[in-house]
Parts: sequence; C-alpha cells; structure tokens
Amino acid sequence: MIVSFPHMGSPVPYKKIFECLGHDVIVPPVPSQRTIDMGVKYSPEFACFPFKVLLGTYMEAIELGAKVIISSGGHGPCRAGFYSEVQQRILQQLNMSVEFIIFDSPNHGGYQDFWHNLIRLKGKSSWFHFMRSVNLVYHMIHILDQLERQLEIKRAYEVVPGTCSKTWEKIQEDFSNLVNVSKDLKAIENLSKERIEKINVEVPGEDEKIRIGIVGEIYVVMEKNVNMKLEEKLGALGVEVERSQYLSHWVDYNMIPKWIKHSHEEAILKKGEKYIEINIGGHAKQTVGHIVDYKERGFDGIIHLMPFACLPELVSQSIIPRISQELDIPVISFSIDEQTGLANNLTRIEAFVDLIRNKKRRLIYNKCVAGL
Amino acid sequence: MMEEIYIGIDVGSVSTNIVAINETKEVVFSQYIRTGGQPLESVKYGIKQLEQAIGDKMVVKGVGTTGSGRQLSGILVGADVIKNEITAHATATLSTVPDVCTIFEIGGQDSKLILLKDQIVIDFAMNTVCAAGTGSFLDHQAERLGIPIEKFGEMALQAKKDVRIAGRCTVFAESDMIAKQQFGFSKADIIKGLCEALVRNFINNLGRGKKLEPPFVFQGGVAANRGIKAAFEKEIGHPIIILPHFNVMGAIGAAILALEYIMDTGKTTKFRGFNMMEHNFSPSTFNCTGCSNCCEIIQVELDDKVIAMWGDRCGKWTNSISS
Repeated sequence: MIVSFPHMGSPVPYKKIFECLGHDVIVPPVPSQRTIDMGVKYSPEFACFPFKVLLGTYMEAIELGAKVIISSGGHGPCRAGFYSEVQQRILQQLNMSVEFIIFDSPNHGGYQDFWHNLIRLKGKSSWFHFMRSVNLVYHMIHILDQLERQLEIKRAYEVVPGTCSKTWEKIQEDFSNLVNVSKDLKAIENLSKERIEKINVEVPGEDEKIRIGIVGEIYVVMEKNVNMKLEEKLGALGVEVERSQYLSHWVDYNMIPKWIKHSHEEAILKKGEKYIEINIGGHAKQTVGHIVDYKERGFDGIIHLMPFACLPELVSQSIIPRISQELDIPVISFSIDEQTGLANNLTRIEAFVDLIRNKKRRLIYNKCVAGL
Repeated sequence: MMEEIYIGIDVGSVSTNIVAINETKEVVFSQYIRTGGQPLESVKYGIKQLEQAIGDKMVVKGVGTTGSGRQLSGILVGADVIKNEITAHATATLSTVPDVCTIFEIGGQDSKLILLKDQIVIDFAMNTVCAAGTGSFLDHQAERLGIPIEKFGEMALQAKKDVRIAGRCTVFAESDMIAKQQFGFSKADIIKGLCEALVRNFINNLGRGKKLEPPFVFQGGVAANRGIKAAFEKEIGHPIIILPHFNVMGAIGAAILALEYIMDTGKTTKFRGFNMMEHNFSPSTFNCTGCSNCCEIIQVELDDKVIAMWGDRCGKWTNSISS
C-alpha cells in the first residue's frame, strides 16, 4: 500500500511503523499556508480548525501519490469522530478518492474494527515481524518524547537561539535514518543525549525559572505548525514548557488495552473530575486534569489552546476561571484558527509571561521580608 | 543644563502616540497621531515634532516602544525597551494611581481589561476574534448616524430614554439600530444604547466572570467618550477615574519602562538620534527556502544596510546580524 498520514508532532514514528510493515510511505509536507488554504476552501465553514488542516494535508498527500490515509478517530461527543467520514466524501467529490484506515481506541469499544485495521496494516508481514515492528516503534515513541521534553526545558536557556530546535530536527533525522531494529535504539538514544548535552545553556537560579504547562485539544497542542510554534516562542522568552499531550501518552491511553497497562492519563483524568465529571468528548477532561496536575507539580502558569469553536474546550474554557482562582494559578486561553496575524497573540503571550514573572518575584520578595 | 528625557512610543492600529517624560515621570511632551496605515511614517513624523518642540533643551536618555508595531518601530528609533501593551498600560497607570485594581483600556481595534492586586498584574484579557467591543465599532456606527465621533459622547448624555441594542456583533447591532430608528427613537437615545451595548460587550467578553474591584481606571482613545464612561459607571455601579493623559497611557508606560531599564542597568541609550528621519528605512519580507519550514523572514534595511532580521525558526538570519 502507498500510505500517508497527517502530521501531529514528530512524523518519524508514523513513518517508521508503516515502513517496517513494508508499505510505501508518503510523508506529507508540514502544514503550511497552502495546506490551510486548501483545507479551508473545501471544508464546511463551521468545521473546526483541525478538520480543515487535516483535509488540506490529505489533499497534499494525495497529490504526492498516496492511496491510503491512516489516521485516528475521536471518541465521545466530539465532532472529530465523524470527520474522517466527511473528509472521505469531500475527497470523493473532488475526484481524489482514497482509502481511509481510521484507528479508534479499542478501550472505548470497537475491538472488531481495531482488529480488522490491524490486519490490513500488517499486510504481508508475519505476525512475528508485526509484533517486532510495533515493539520497536512503541519504544521509539517513548524515547523521542523523553528527548523532546529535555529540549523543551533546555530551550529556555539556550545561548544561541534556535539551537534546541535544530538539535531536535537532527535527532528526528537520526531516528528516521539510523534506527531499523530495536537494538539500534539505545545507540541513537545515547547519540541524541550527547547532542542535547552539547547545547550551550545559561541556567539561572531556581527562583528565576518559569515553568508553563500547555493544555488543550491534542492536535493544536501537539502540532507546532498550527499553534504559532508556541513552544519555541515561550522558549525564546526564557520559559520551560511541558505539553499535556505527547504521542506516548496518547498511545498508552488509547491503543494499549487497559488490562495490559494502566496509563498515566487515567490518573490525570481523576484529578480533573472535581471540575468535569463526565466525558464530554475531545480533551476537555484532560485539560482540567492537567491544570490540577501542573499546579501540584509547582508550575507557574498554564496556557490553554483550543481550536476556534471547539465545543469540549469551550466547556473547559468556561470552567477555567474558577479553577484558576481556586488553585491560584494564572491560566490564559488561545483560540486557534486560520488567522495568521499574530500580533494580538504575541502580545498576550508576552504579557502573560510578564505577569507570571512579576508574581513570582513578588512571592519571593514577600518570603524574604517575612524571613527577616 | 539640559533636561534628561525618556521617550515612549505606542504604535497601534489606529493611532501612534509619542510622549516624552522627565526623570520624575512627568509628561513634558505628548502627541496623538492617526496611524493611517503608515506606522513608520507616523513615528518619524512624531519624533520630528518632538524634536521641534523640545529637541534643543533636552537630551534623550532612553526610548521604549509598545503597541502592535513595537518591533519594527523599536528598530527604527533604536529602542532600549520593547514591551507589550498590557505591561506598558499597567505600568503607566500604576505610576499615577498606585492602588488601581481594574484598568479598562479601549483602543481602535482592541480592548483590554487588566486586573491588578498589590501593584502587580494578576490577570488580563484582550478581545481576540471580534472588534465589536472596540473603538472601531463606535467609529462605524457614528459614521452610519452621520455624527462626528467627537460629539458622540456628548450626545449620549442628552438621551432621555433607554434603548437596548444588541452589542455582541456589529452586524446585529446595526440591524437593531436601524429597527430602533424606525421605531422613532432619537439619535441621542440610540447613541446611548450603543454605548451601553459596547460596555456590555466589553464586560461579557473580557470580564468573563472575573471579579472587578475598584479603583477603576478607564483609558485609551475611547475614554474621551463621556457616553462610554457613563455607561461603564452605570454597568458596574461605581465611579471611574480617567487620567489626564488617558489617550497616551501606553506610550507613557513604554517611557517609564525605558527609564527604569536605564536606571537599573546604567546603560546608555540605543536611540538613533533625531536625524534618523533623513535616513532611508525600508522593511521587506521574503520566504527562506533553506528547509521545508519556508519561514517568512522580515528584513529591515537602513540606507541599504541590513540592520535587523527576524521570523526564522532556526536563527539562520536572526543570528546573521551582528549588533
């Protein structure tokens, strides 16, 4: 099969698993203005931003010759669950028919479909080879996420701006080109750690550090090309960043049956249940859970990202002021849409970081005074 | 002896404001210029005015820029501090009303709500997707009613009846307004209704359940409108302070930030001097083709020499400038 997939974070793991299983893989271009333009043109106006960008990405993949699109579905009352169906119809009308393979979480029903999809994906490979490949990529995802998190911290203090982002590109290249079997992983992981070690940093005192957690809908949180490269912007302002969504978390929560492994995500969901009790779709429960979690872990502030008009995140957005007050942690929300004028958002990001910094300084000052 | 001054420049969508303050943070010069889509020209013009007014008696010790055009204008003049509007506005207000808790700022295309406690900003909100709660909404409706915007506030105060106009969206407001006109309400009544609609929109959109506490300060160009002030006071049930320099507060904040920065660090200013106006200053953009990111690079040239570049993710261009 000639397969393609949408971007969401690093494309390397997706590419790797399909390659290992003997498919021809087309990596679509990263979401650009062109992608968005195409997606917006052929999408229903009211559809959310991820729908539009994904449609644009699929069209670009098809232009490059993709015959099968592999993507994930949604669950719960979020529109994303229907999106692949609608996208398929739109593409049909445009004479760009492709086959879709949509992975829904087996943890939320639908074992049969999941199983059926796995068999199609397996193709001609043996089950032994299939399991070996899955195992390889599973570990790769976890390692990549660990490395990225180190960079998200280091980026705040890099001496030459852009070094961390460049290193991240290199690391992804290494994993893409040099890892073919599980035993390669360790060597490349070590090589990457050395690369990260080499980055020049000037780390300030503990009191001067600022940590911000990014929460919200998975696509806009994970795909930097649609979220204004928020992590890099915050890094440039000297802020350590952690995201609420990493591919490894998603895989553990959605793709690994519960009887094999209890995921980190479940603990997070528990923490948010005080605010949103039932599953209202999307990542609203995760959003509030992560805010509580970040507060407990001593983060200084939260940035909440949501696609414009995303229903689950609108619900979480309206609860956020209360959470922010109860937990005494600053939270700011950003709606992400096709707008490219960033002045307003940049101002808000900068002011938010100023706010956090001043608040922290005041706190430390008060402590000092009290100590005298 | 020459007096030492600090310049603050606020380049917004509708107006460009330039102020100069002395060491005791007193405003010694202030100017409000319509940007008219030409931010750089407005800054040059304003600086020229400043020079003509006080250039021979004063020496510039520092410069700060703010507003949506802060980056580019900061490079043009050689700013020491380039800061966002929220911080700038809060700084300016705090210097005159130290115990301020709530700042309403309404400008041409954006509006801000800033909440403070113990002299630090604890929360803020900015309008994001819609201009319904901003000056341009009023501008547009004033035009529709054929009333100069300057008279708008006065007229609102003459209203005798209450008219409720939908304020969530300019389009709804407009059709509502036409309907009310056809019902026979006077222009003054309708204008008052519009002012109240704007304030409701502001409080709903930016307030979003936040607790607003006095003292309240109202600033930005729209604070000149007495109708809006009255509508705010009615909505929150508390008097509102409007400071003398309400329409240039952002610029004052930028100047104060520059002053504090220079005082703290003891550095000398990067101000390019008054004669920079004669130089040829041209920004341009191009798309870098070095990798698949295709970043849009902004490049600024001064007399054909590249003095600043930004917009690249990898730092290839940004780092190529030796300052």
